[in-house]
Amino acid sequence: MSRVHSKEEYPYVTVKLNVNGKDYEASVRPYERLIDVLRYKLGLTSVKEGCGRGECGACVVIMDGKLVPSCLVLAVRANNKRIITLEGLAPEGKIHAIQKAFLDTLSVQCGFCFPGVILAVKWLLDKNPNPSDEEIKEILGGHLCRCGSYLRFIKAVKLAVKYLQEGKVYFDIKELRSVSSAR
Amino acid sequence: MKDIRFDVFVPSSLDDALQFMAKEGAEALPMAGGTDLIVLIRNGIVKPKKVLDLWPLREELAFIKREDGWIRIGALTTIEEISNSFLVKDPRYAGFLDMCKQFATPYLRTIATVGGNIGAAHPLSDVTILLLTLDCEVKLMSVNGERWVKLEGLFLDKRKLAKDPSELITEVRFREIPQNASTAFLKFDRRWGHAMGYIVVAACAQLEGDIVEEVRIAFDSMGRPFPERAKKTEEFLKGKRLSGDIIRDACSKVLPKEMKRISDYRASAEYRLDLSKVLLKRALLKIKSRVGGG
Ligand SMILES: Cc1cc2nc3c(=O)[nH]c(=O)nc-3n(C[C@H](O)[C@H](O)[C@H](O)COP(=O)(O)OP(=O)(O)OC[C@H]3O[C@@H](n4cnc5c(N)ncnc54)[C@H](O)[C@@H]3O)c2cc1C
Ligand code: FES
Ligand code: FES
Repeated sequence: MSRVHSKEEYPYVTVKLNVNGKDYEASVRPYERLIDVLRYKLGLTSVKEGCGRGECGACVVIMDGKLVPSCLVLAVRANNKRIITLEGLAPEGKIHAIQKAFLDTLSVQCGFCFPGVILAVKWLLDKNPNPSDEEIKEILGGHLCRCGSYLRFIKAVKLAVKYLQEGKVYFDIKELRSVSSAR
Repeated sequence: MKDIRFDVFVPSSLDDALQFMAKEGAEALPMAGGTDLIVLIRNGIVKPKKVLDLWPLREELAFIKREDGWIRIGALTTIEEISNSFLVKDPRYAGFLDMCKQFATPYLRTIATVGGNIGAAHPLSDVTILLLTLDCEVKLMSVNGERWVKLEGLFLDKRKLAKDPSELITEVRFREIPQNASTAFLKFDRRWGHAMGYIVVAACAQLEGDIVEEVRIAFDSMGRPFPERAKKTEEFLKGKRLSGDIIRDACSKVLPKEMKRISDYRASAEYRLDLSKVLLKRALLKIKSRVGGG
């Protein structure tokens, strides 16, 4: 990203946004995007820039309840909005049932696509707690996974549905460690 | 190096936005969802110095209404909003459900708008292609007032509209179609959700029994680089029985006479024409079964 610019032409503007429940103020250039703020200014590195043009789904976040590509939303448009990134899915020290299900099904390989995929699934399950295979495919169709975990994603979503139906929303990270070392 | 910088103007009202467009003229471009515009700017294809953010106008310009025999859709209505509206539940407008399901990906449908789809003036503009079959009208507003124009005739070339740069698209409308009419939309794509379609067709037909009373057909392109109607094929079908033979003649004999396809790295003209014939056939059969309650 270019940081060379004439100050007079494109002055900074202040954007107030609530990210994962915390209020922030960020100074942005008018042409900067939401991903520029989240990833580069606030350091929320779960927000990945894959294609930068709406094609891969790696950058999606939930803004005011809608799944949006942060590479195609201007930062100024996020003013006074509530944003959820992967970091905000579970309290400190815990992970969300969807994350747990993806780990359990060994769906994550390199993990680059993972934050976008998890948020898309979260968005889907909030609206539709028990989706069909077709509905899962539709929501994830826009998320490219270069490691090709697609079929496992479907299994993972079903497992997440099961966890949530059993009332297991969060899992302790410490317990995860003990599980993996026991393997 | 590409200069992708621009200033953004956030309007306080529609009037404020119109005044800005009147003042800035060719220097500025309006941005709705930005799913087309941001990509073009970042690729250096368009270089506006200023961008007018239309999103704050959504309160006024995002709606889907049924009123006095018209369906009215605000320019800032998103594809997702269409897919949650009464429109997709009405069998007459099943074409909208077809269209929404195949439009880009769920995360683009939350921001891509109807007005932006028209403003993009691109052949592969799904909403536009469907609206052409509904004989849609577009409301253009500027500081000098408003006017309604036919969607058909609004395109001059790829990314070129027959309107003043200071005019904003604020709404589209079409007359409700009768109970014995329906719509269909088909897109051929190598995969759902990524590439835009190779071929897109939409059709709207009114059937009295098996007889075609009224029909409108639109493709992503008939030869020029924007969506257009297949008028000769429509004329041929009108008044005829929608039988297998007639559909075959319309697709294989009449359509190729009025359609010119291009060859490029994505597909050959021959392949595109073949696909167009097949998709039109499927669209007509789909409408037939939809009107028949199938
Ligand atoms: C990955 C990807 C996949 C896509 N898939 C599809 C697809 O399947 N089908 C499809 O049809 N399109 C697709 N598109 C293209 C694009 O998303 C659509 O054309 C969309 O409807 C554009 O709407 P927008 O609100 O984002 O427009 P914007 O990008 O905001 O604007 C597009 C153009 O219209 C002008 N404009 C916008 N609103 C107005 C207005 N109210 N008045 C006057 N001018 C205006 C802008 O100045 C700009 O020139 C895709 C794009 C991407 C990046
Ligand atoms: S980086 Fe935004 S969709 Fe690929
Ligand atoms: S796990 Fe590597 S891109 Fe999906």
